[in-house]
Amino acid sequence: MSLESSFESSLAASQALHLPRAGRQAPPPEAAASAPGLSRGALAGLLRFAGLLALLAVVAFFAVRVPSFLTPGNIGLILSQSAVLGILGLGLTLVLITGGSDVIRGGIDLSLAGTLGLAAAVFATLNQAGYGDAACVAATLATGLAVGALNALSVTWLRILPLLATLAVMNICAGLELVLTENTTVPAAAPLIDALNLAGPFDLPVIGLVLVAAWLVLAVTLRFTPVGLRAYAVGGHPEAARAAGIALNRYVAGSYIVAGLLGGVAGILSVAFLNAATSGSADMLLPVIATAFLGRMFSRRLVPSVTGTLLAAVFLGALANGFQLLHVSSYWVNGIEGALILAVVGVTSGLAQRGARP
Amino acid sequence: MESSAPARIARRSLLKTGAALAGALTLGGPALAQEAAPAAADAPVPSLKGKTIAISVAGTDHFFDLKAYQAQIETVKELGGTPIGLDGGRNDKAIVSQLQTLLTQKPDAVIQTLGTLTVVDPWLKKLRQADIPVFSVDLPSTNVINTATSDNFSLGAQLALQLVSDIGGKGNIVVFNGFAGVPVCEIRYNQLRHVLKYYPEVKIVQPELRDVIPNTVQDAYAQITALLSKYPEKGSISAIWSAWDIPQLGATQALIAAGRTEILTYGVDGTPEVLALVKDPKAPAGAVAAQQPSLIGRTAVLNVARYLNGDTSLPSQTFLPAIVANKKNAADVQKQLGQV
Repeated sequence: MSLESSFESSLAASQALHLPRAGRQAPPPEAAASAPGLSRGALAGLLRFAGLLALLAVVAFFAVRVPSFLTPGNIGLILSQSAVLGILGLGLTLVLITGGSDVIRGGIDLSLAGTLGLAAAVFATLNQAGYGDAACVAATLATGLAVGALNALSVTWLRILPLLATLAVMNICAGLELVLTENTTVPAAAPLIDALNLAGPFDLPVIGLVLVAAWLVLAVTLRFTPVGLRAYAVGGHPEAARAAGIALNRYVAGSYIVAGLLGGVAGILSVAFLNAATSGSADMLLPVIATAFLGRMFSRRLVPSVTGTLLAAVFLGALANGFQLLHVSSYWVNGIEGALILAVVGVTSGLAQRGARP
Repeated sequence: MESSAPARIARRSLLKTGAALAGALTLGGPALAQEAAPAAADAPVPSLKGKTIAISVAGTDHFFDLKAYQAQIETVKELGGTPIGLDGGRNDKAIVSQLQTLLTQKPDAVIQTLGTLTVVDPWLKKLRQADIPVFSVDLPSTNVINTATSDNFSLGAQLALQLVSDIGGKGNIVVFNGFAGVPVCEIRYNQLRHVLKYYPEVKIVQPELRDVIPNTVQDAYAQITALLSKYPEKGSISAIWSAWDIPQLGATQALIAAGRTEILTYGVDGTPEVLALVKDPKAPAGAVAAQQPSLIGRTAVLNVARYLNGDTSLPSQTFLPAIVANKKNAADVQKQLGQV
């Protein structure tokens, strides 16, 4: 067991002892693992992989029904269609890690979809004004960082509830986006956009590879550097983290700033994907939240994790793609998606509760 | 099919009306000349048996989109084909994702209804490059084989002339221009500007307003209400123009609520509520260019069927007749469109 996961276990156990949280319906799986009995052990084992098994089952279903589902070209499409959502989901995951999982008081960044819209608008507007790729990218990432910094200041310095602070910042972003675009579609054309739409190594579109790269950087950082361990500590058990001498605010602020930066990256990808900055980025808010929370189901301990979020984003992308390939009308897809998410979450947390029962 | 018979009757009567209007308009000539194409609809239509046709639409929240979409789905089924219904829900990311997935899905043909050209066009191009025939409804593009559409040049000019004539050739007009990226809206707007060039006493109030989706009616209502308090004197505004008729609906309601019924509204589509307002002598809806979305959608599918059965003579655009409904003829138009 790695350092990170052993720390997660102890955190989870300490939460069960001292800090029952509003958002945590299921007691931690460790309770099940430590209880005697083979069947419970099997349940716990199953629980760890329930999310993953559901994902594999869905993939297998599509692969059997539609042979083209698993072709490299289609996998590349799913990745690139999941890229914007996935990158935003990764940002939110960081905030959830350092903010803790309490639904009301815990970490949340509602401004991410707004950051996406504003960042895309900045990129496309500058592109139309004749600026080169470097300037557009710099300004777009700086916009994301600025939004992240505003969130960080509001949450750590002004001590506003993240839910409210990021809600306010979301509205600021939406307003600024309207100022820039006047609510119209701003087209964009640039060498960078063409490059992002090309197929890279393994025939995967570059947009999709950016998602994989962002995940890789975050996963490595969280797993193999002290930063990851401390970030989980700050969110999971702030008192212990403070006692251990960790500067909580620095980690909380850092997560919002990196999330903002990822919002900027998502903005660039979105402009590349759509060849324009378009209105309607606010529609991404709920899918982003769904992705980050669904991602917990893919982690062994039901904690937010970047790998889980990546899988969740790809899972949602695969659902939309697979159902279309099955000729299912898009009218059905939303409902089926919702039902499947409910089933995955329900099975996982149901198993967790049964596994925890003595 | 239940909708084809009334549609055909409506088309004939519209043709007559259109012929009457054509005399007044130089643009009417070429528009009506295109009628040869839909007239061929009466010829036996090849089957779509065993064919899969993707019906991608920008959204189905408005009268035009919904009717055009439903007619396409129905016609594909009627001809024995399998429709893949793809409703983008006014979300560009969803529309692009769905078009992308069609690259894997390889349907026998794709029909794209509406959409922002700069967003949709690169993917229509990729579909063509993958040897998938692409058709469209209301979306002229170099990457489609055929577009079924109203003649927006003609109807845009007719609507503008109706407006200018109703306000006596002078006055301030308010314009909703939020969807310049949608080609048919751009064409109608450019026709308005083109007509206004010859009526220098008609001025567009600056800045132009932006219509939005969703909440189009509520937003137009709010924007016009705010504008009316900025221009409180009667006569300071003569008319309100929008490239489709859902903003017109909100604007008309705002005028009624504010008691400013001296201002007339103009739009395009022929949504039943708007046509009813145009007919109502007390309502300030001046005119609406009524399209035939069901017939347009059906024609697009018929064109696909002909193409897939070897007909390579399709024109790049198939124009379906539209008619400007004004205070005088709105009741007749309602009857012709089966909206009574």
